[in-house]
Amino acid sequence: MNVVFAVKQYVSKMIEDSGPGMKVLLMDKETTGIVSMVYTQSEILQKEVYLFERIDSQNREIMKHLKAICFLRPTKENVDYLIQELRRPKYSIYFIYFSNVISKSDVKSLAEADEQEVVAEVQEFYGDYIAVNPHLFSLNILGCCQGRNWDPAQLSRTTQGLTALLLSLKKCPMIRYQLSSESAKRLAECVKQVITKEYELFEFRRTEVPPLLLILDRCDDAITPLLNQWTYQAMVHELLGINNNRIDLSRVPGISKDLREVVLSAENDEFYANNMYLNFAEIGSNIKTLMEDFQKKKPKEQQKLESIADMKAFVENYPQFKKMSGTVSKHVTVVGELSRLVSERNLLEVSEVEQELACQNDHSSALQNVKRLLRNPKVTECDAARLVMLYALHYERHSSNSLPGLVMDLRNRGVSEKYRKLVSAVVEYGGKRVRGSDLFSPKDAVAITKQFLKGLKGVENVYTQHQPFLHETLDHLIKGKLKENLYPYLGPSTLRDRPQDIVVFIIGGVTYEEALTAYNLNRTTPGVRIVLGGTAVHNTKSFLEEVLASGLHGRSKESSQVTARSASRR
Amino acid sequence: MSKGKLKKFCKKVVGFILQRKSLVQKAKKAKNRLLKREGDDRAESGTQGYESFSYGGVDPYMWEPQELGAVRSHLSDFKKHRAARIDHYVVEVNKLIIRLEKLTAFDRTNTESAKIRAIEKSVVPWVNDQDVPFCPDCGNKFSIRNRRHHCRLCGSIMCKKCMELISLPFANKLTSASKDSLSTHTSPSQSPNSVHGSRRGSISSVSSVSSVLDEKDDDRIRCCTHCKDTLLKREQQIDEKEHTPDIVKLYEKLRLCMEKVDQKAPEYIRMAASLNAGETTYSLEHAGDLRIEVQKVYELIDALSKKILTLGLNQDPPPHPNTLRLQRMIRYSATLFVQEKLLGLMSLPTREQFEELKKKRKQEMERKRILERQAALESQRRLKERQNDLVSRAANGEVVSLRGGPAPLRKAEGWLPLSGGQGQSEDSDPLLQQIHNITSFIRQARAAGRVDEVHTLQENLRQLQDEYDQQQTEKAIELSRRQAEEEDLQREQLQMLREREWEREREQFQAVSLHTRTRSLDFREIRPFQLEPGREPRTHLAYALDLGSSAVQSSAAPETPSPVSALEPVRVWSGPPAFGQDPLPQSTVPQQTSLNPFEDEDPSSPAADGSASPLASEPASGPSACILKEYNPFEEEEEEAVAGNPFTTPDSPAPNPFDEEDEHPYPRPSSPPVPGNPFEEATCTNPFEMDSDSGPEREEAIEEELLLQQIDNIKAYIFDAKQCGRLDEVELLTENLRELKRTLAKQKGTN
Repeated sequence: MNVVFAVKQYVSKMIEDSGPGMKVLLMDKETTGIVSMVYTQSEILQKEVYLFERIDSQNREIMKHLKAICFLRPTKENVDYLIQELRRPKYSIYFIYFSNVISKSDVKSLAEADEQEVVAEVQEFYGDYIAVNPHLFSLNILGCCQGRNWDPAQLSRTTQGLTALLLSLKKCPMIRYQLSSESAKRLAECVKQVITKEYELFEFRRTEVPPLLLILDRCDDAITPLLNQWTYQAMVHELLGINNNRIDLSRVPGISKDLREVVLSAENDEFYANNMYLNFAEIGSNIKTLMEDFQKKKPKEQQKLESIADMKAFVENYPQFKKMSGTVSKHVTVVGELSRLVSERNLLEVSEVEQELACQNDHSSALQNVKRLLRNPKVTECDAARLVMLYALHYERHSSNSLPGLVMDLRNRGVSEKYRKLVSAVVEYGGKRVRGSDLFSPKDAVAITKQFLKGLKGVENVYTQHQPFLHETLDHLIKGKLKENLYPYLGPSTLRDRPQDIVVFIIGGVTYEEALTAYNLNRTTPGVRIVLGGTAVHNTKSFLEEVLASGLHGRSKESSQVTARSASRR
Repeated sequence: MSKGKLKKFCKKVVGFILQRKSLVQKAKKAKNRLLKREGDDRAESGTQGYESFSYGGVDPYMWEPQELGAVRSHLSDFKKHRAARIDHYVVEVNKLIIRLEKLTAFDRTNTESAKIRAIEKSVVPWVNDQDVPFCPDCGNKFSIRNRRHHCRLCGSIMCKKCMELISLPFANKLTSASKDSLSTHTSPSQSPNSVHGSRRGSISSVSSVSSVLDEKDDDRIRCCTHCKDTLLKREQQIDEKEHTPDIVKLYEKLRLCMEKVDQKAPEYIRMAASLNAGETTYSLEHAGDLRIEVQKVYELIDALSKKILTLGLNQDPPPHPNTLRLQRMIRYSATLFVQEKLLGLMSLPTREQFEELKKKRKQEMERKRILERQAALESQRRLKERQNDLVSRAANGEVVSLRGGPAPLRKAEGWLPLSGGQGQSEDSDPLLQQIHNITSFIRQARAAGRVDEVHTLQENLRQLQDEYDQQQTEKAIELSRRQAEEEDLQREQLQMLREREWEREREQFQAVSLHTRTRSLDFREIRPFQLEPGREPRTHLAYALDLGSSAVQSSAAPETPSPVSALEPVRVWSGPPAFGQDPLPQSTVPQQTSLNPFEDEDPSSPAADGSASPLASEPASGPSACILKEYNPFEEEEEEAVAGNPFTTPDSPAPNPFDEEDEHPYPRPSSPPVPGNPFEEATCTNPFEMDSDSGPEREEAIEEELLLQQIDNIKAYIFDAKQCGRLDEVELLTENLRELKRTLAKQKGTN
């Protein structure tokens, strides 16, 4: 069930199968991202893969002394590029791997193009998704829906991605979906269709309890992606943005050249792996420890290496020192920047009010706090807008709802029109009318008691009170209590036992906060393995773009522009 | 990283932490909680998911390994489609080449044009002129000015503009290549045959003549663009097959070197680790040689990859950027390789250091051995006590049913202990016997394919082993206390035993032992009382005791296969007279060569050692040495025998502590009262003292070899740092390098 490992295994297998010799990896735009998530350059270099080329790049030179490993999505363009490539082969031999199911006719046209018999392998390796963490995957699709319905192209891509995931994990699941969402049902049907069509592919060793695929819709919980985050991974994404494990630091003041873009990958960064789920304060103390360790290891300039013992110690410590220096400088820079942003944007205060809006039900206090923050000049446009959005979502139907007043405040503050419009767009996207379940007031007795107790005990940490709605859903699912009238099964058969292997997919994107929730459920629940995925991994900014792209409020013209922009950004 | 940069980091971090705190203070509500969370109170459970660390589930990083995901191959399908297409293509090409061969098979220049034409027409029928009014390629109308031309290869018609020409050398290349490929099948080394060569010669002479005679169509073959295309493609294929670019040759060499390193480096690391631990399995010289060899290979890798990097840089049309990128990447990966492996290449101890290490290790081994022996002995004693009742039954092979009910076997259907297993087994410990039996039962059950029974038996076996282990450890703890009390009794007894005639007694003893082996241990328990009885029984008892102690050793052997425990039974069984002929190199130790009466004490050695060991095992310090001095000389000698036991260090050049002492370059601060007393020896090689002793000297005498090693290493770092562009580091390293070189020069001067 480890998605990173699954993709990595595929890539390793490809490289292994091609035997010794210099190799070039021929990829398309998407597979480049897929491979880069699981392999570092130096790792792949050691396997004699020296060049990475895009199948669509035109100025590739003929290098007959190289073997080519092609890892491509089975799209029409890629097949065409490959046909051209095979007609005039640039490399000595080709190992072709498609990341998904390819049609027989495409295979035939490829075969006919291979007049020089350079192709040695044609296979389907189902690494057709971005493996972010062992239990988290993404498809990097922004703007998957138009209004309430799927963009057809994105639906097909999502179906491919999801079926590839199932194949790579060798799971043939039962499917449940969120009834309140039409898109969830549609996707469930599409996945089922593929499973039925490719039944011989989905024939795996049966497990006692069949795996489960649960398809949800972001609309059901628009709160989570609007909150500021305080755990390392989530916070970095929220404030700096993580794009395929890469973080753009070029806007950090006084950044040195080699830190413009850094990679945070738990696969080969121990500090990150150990700290990605810890909260900011803990990171602070951990990074201090890291620094101290580093200081100890650092060879001292002043002190000459006088004895051979000194020298030996130096030589032995040097490699560790070298490795550490990279890690230290990276994390110190990232954490430093985070802390700068936190103070610059007054995020502690903002976050506190956000949490209050998300978790408590005191309207007047909430309103007061929002108003107070809207007057604070340090609060950014985006933060101000999202406070109002949170208010709008929570107190949408409240008797003394004063949303218009807050929107006026936004205008008076000089918040741009885009954000003001987004307030109503977000309400339309994830408002009460759309939600299939109640985000804010617990229904069943246990939950009420829980909340009551929570109130009694006081809150542990005001910044992390919020628990994504997903937690409750998964909790119910694991205990076998998830209501079938809200989350029906596709098809007649239902699961008798509690589920063990669970794949959750959220249309409209997941967040790192939810990834953490799934991570913790994995760690605390024996026998249960949850893999979480979404069309994208969102922070507030990308989530708002998603909302814009869905084109609610009839602004189809504007939204298409946004789609184009976001697409180019990807 | 420079200090300046580092300072910046520090400032940043400190600043950030301060800033963080002030912020926290601002947010009053949060303050306490956040600060509290900075501590290690993670386990404090809260409402947040990440705080509840009840490890019921599994971290996704720890999920068990999974197999490769689903795959589907289209290769056979692909090949099927390709084969159809390829056949067609291959036939086409072959047809053209056969025709080409026919067209060039005669001497064109010396043949009349008409005859040539006749031959050409016989190769392929020409298309009728009337059938083609327009050039099929460009569409121009044929006329008197625009005349028709025939392709000699396929017979089709085109205009002059669209016509291509094939020169004879080109044609020859194509035809000879296909012939070559045929001939290579029979004998690869064979050069192009003589017929070939002669023809080639004639062509070259002819073409030189023809070049003088102006361009004449006859020495070239007309053909259409399509045929020419096909032939050009073919030519390209031939070229590629024959041509290996320089980079490939270099790269292959590079990979060979890397493979060599992959082979040699682990071997070297094993050697170095062993040598650094003071073991003598490998010789220092050999390891040094290997190190040099590996380093040579590294240099070669470096040189080769550098050569690859600069390949073609000076060429006039500079190589394609991709070629350069490839070269850079190969260089980079070679650098990574060198870095990774070279840094893992630990240095060797110097000769002097090695001697020290050896000594230290020997000391440690001794201690360990003594402890082991002692533990084994004691546990054995205890076991026997507790399981007295088991003993008799153990002999009957009913043991299985004895141990905790679960054994489901009835005698009739049960497994028999392996024949001879009991007879040859020297395990007087019933538990061990049982373990043996069950092991053989399992084997039999497995052979019979009774899986359930194997399971039950294995479970049984596990329980037994657990029990055994547990008892062993329990006993070991008690031993030291009881040891002292038993000691005097034993000594007395041994004195008596010494006076016996060994040869005769041994025969008797062997007879007895066959019957009483498993019981013999019991005698030891009552031994104190049996010291009184008359002469005859006493000797028996003595042997029983012998047997007992030897059994202890042998039963301990499977648990702790230390050389001593293996050695001990040998001594007992062969008896004192055999001791001198002992094949073991022990006889080299002067104290033991003579068959002096003290040798008779051998059987007691485990006990004696055991009694001494609790003290010896402490870091040898003043008081312990004093106590030890009070022991009688026999015991000391026993100690020595162990200390000098070549068994532990068979290759050691100086197994005898006395030899070592002579070699010891520094006078010991406290000269021992009894020369050669092993306990004194222990004190002087005490790691603490040794360090203070030899520290300064060692530093003065930095070995050249080591210096060179370090210089090598630093060079590698510099190279690496340069590679990555960390100039400040390079500076620092260069400084170090200079320092080292100076030291080296100084060293050479003084020597």
